Amino acid sequence: MRDFLTVFRYEFKTQMFKRAAIITMLVIMAIMVAVTSLPRIIALFDKGDADSPLDNGISQAGYVQAEGQAQALLDRILGERARPYPDRDALVQALEDREVEVGFLLGEDLSYEVLYQDRPMDDRRDSLFADALAQYRREQLLMEHGLSQQDYAAIENSGLTGHTTVLGQNSMNNYMISLLMMILVYFMVLMYGSSVSSIIAREKDSRTMEILITSTRPTQLIIGKVAAAGLAALVQFGAIVLVTVLGFQLNKSTYPPELLMMVSGSLTPAYILTYAFFSFFGFVLYLFLYAALGSTVSKMEDLASATGLVQFLFIAAYILSTLAAQMPGSALAVTSSILPFTSIMVMPLRSAMITIPLWELLLAGALMLLFVAFFAFLSIRIYRWGSLNYGNKTKLRRIVQEALRREHR
Amino acid sequence: MRLTVQNINKSFGDKQILHDVSFEVVSGRAMGFLGRNGAGKSTTIRCLMDVFRQDSGQFLLDGQPFRPWWMRIGYLPEERGMYQKNEVLEQLVYFAMLRGASRAEAARSANHWVDYFGLGEFKKKKLETLSKGNQQKIQIAQSFLNEPDILILDEPFSGLDPVNAQIFKDTIADFVRQGKLVIFSSHQMGYVEEVCDDVTLIHEGRIILHGELDRIKREEGRDKLFLALTDGREGQQADALRAAFPGLQVQAVKEGLVLDTRGAQLTGPLLHWLAEQQLPIRRFGLYEPSLTDIFITKVGEAA
Repeated sequence: MRDFLTVFRYEFKTQMFKRAAIITMLVIMAIMVAVTSLPRIIALFDKGDADSPLDNGISQAGYVQAEGQAQALLDRILGERARPYPDRDALVQALEDREVEVGFLLGEDLSYEVLYQDRPMDDRRDSLFADALAQYRREQLLMEHGLSQQDYAAIENSGLTGHTTVLGQNSMNNYMISLLMMILVYFMVLMYGSSVSSIIAREKDSRTMEILITSTRPTQLIIGKVAAAGLAALVQFGAIVLVTVLGFQLNKSTYPPELLMMVSGSLTPAYILTYAFFSFFGFVLYLFLYAALGSTVSKMEDLASATGLVQFLFIAAYILSTLAAQMPGSALAVTSSILPFTSIMVMPLRSAMITIPLWELLLAGALMLLFVAFFAFLSIRIYRWGSLNYGNKTKLRRIVQEALRREHR
Repeated sequence: MRLTVQNINKSFGDKQILHDVSFEVVSGRAMGFLGRNGAGKSTTIRCLMDVFRQDSGQFLLDGQPFRPWWMRIGYLPEERGMYQKNEVLEQLVYFAMLRGASRAEAARSANHWVDYFGLGEFKKKKLETLSKGNQQKIQIAQSFLNEPDILILDEPFSGLDPVNAQIFKDTIADFVRQGKLVIFSSHQMGYVEEVCDDVTLIHEGRIILHGELDRIKREEGRDKLFLALTDGREGQQADALRAAFPGLQVQAVKEGLVLDTRGAQLTGPLLHWLAEQQLPIRRFGLYEPSLTDIFITKVGEAA
């Protein structure tokens, strides 16, 4: 226990004061502050003069002059700032010369053409024009049938009242938040898993390992290293989460109500408990895997290929979780939420989407604990095996067989 | 303390590396563990340190099974290595604590040894910023942390310049005087001869010589005489000696001739013959072989 604490303190200090880790953490924290303050920042620059087809017309628009009703409509929809052109060719020329961004032609029969030189991805000016024309047409028809706008509203809203009650999980609200929480785990595993494997590979590469394993037991070394990386991850990511929560609380008043409802609806105690359990133990499981694989290489440059398998496994877990979000009750989603290598991602996401049967949670939890214990044991054995093996590349199956032999106790 | 290495066998795959390796080391006497490259020195030491598990045999300390992690041991592995990107003092304190020292003891010991080797100014530097020689000294310093009762040093002199080698020899001598148990492997015979009281010679995984160095030298020099001439022409007299003394074995060595009488009482007749020949004698007396001579002879016999 004493040696474990010595290893733990030394590795924790090394992890926490790594310059790259501190810079990354500060950058992410700054980004989270900016993201949570975004509505407030937008509000600061928003002068309230957003273009609306009926209030201020359509921005940067040009049109071909028409007569009578069509011209009146063009004036009403496009506003005073729209530029008139005598014919289509003049309008096209104006678009090519970048005098205007969008051009409109409107016939007497209300048929229309919208012209762009280059259309931006999120441009909606053509549909705004179409909506305004449709509204005008509706008003005309209502008048022809002797109906008022109020009559129309009464027809549209048939007077029925009711609301939807979700007894279990509301996937619509929960998806975004649980996806964000999952991405947090994704980065934690990849960042700190790589860190643990590179610490061990570097010890081997620099031949420090022999001094270490003759000074204390491999069990203390591996568990100390994994615990230090785990706590460093929790502290650093905890700080990021804390900054995000603070940013959220400070800027809460500027958020749209839908977003507030989404957050308050998602973070139920049951979800937080499921997320905390599977993310934490899954994270520890992957740290042991990374530690074991770090022990199998003799040189730092071989580390990327050695850890490729576990990276692949983890990315597969991520992909399965996104599939499980679409079909949380499917056989694939159920299976992958029970198997420990994938349950780290899939189980929390599924639990945000649907109510998970208790037996599934218990089975997945028990399997997770069992796998953590087994892979901790295996990684200690592989670390011991790795300390004696330099140079020759050995297949993973052979490594496991060798590591489990009596002499690597 | 008496450390007994008893019938150690070790194989890697189908190849047996150690064959019934046995010897003893006692505290207060430095033991040089000698052998050619690949003879099995490091494998024996790694088995002793529990880096490898031997296939059979045992290590005993005063008759009880030896457990390296229960003892205060200073170990310098053949493959040197420490954290390149960490500060010198910080990692020495860490290693000392892993070997059972409290933080205060570890800091005191680490500071002492860094200062002892004249590297006080590098305490807060990363190891990678030090010269190769200074890195070597830091690695040696780590083996002395916590005032160990047992020192196990695998090829400690490799890479050391003569000045640092002398500092290191003095340190080992100090430990021996304090009654510590010291084992060091080497194939640099000069250092072993200067520092060690006992030697063990391993060849192809088998112990071929073990015992007190002075006694071995006496035994290896028994019935042998040494002749050196001032004109350096000993070689020209070899055939004349063989002709005059048919039972005498004459062997040319670096600075003269070794005359093996094979138990015959030839000292008087030889002196008489030398006087008759009026040869310019520089030295004539009992032959004491160097450790290098013994090593070459024994390895040659075992091959």
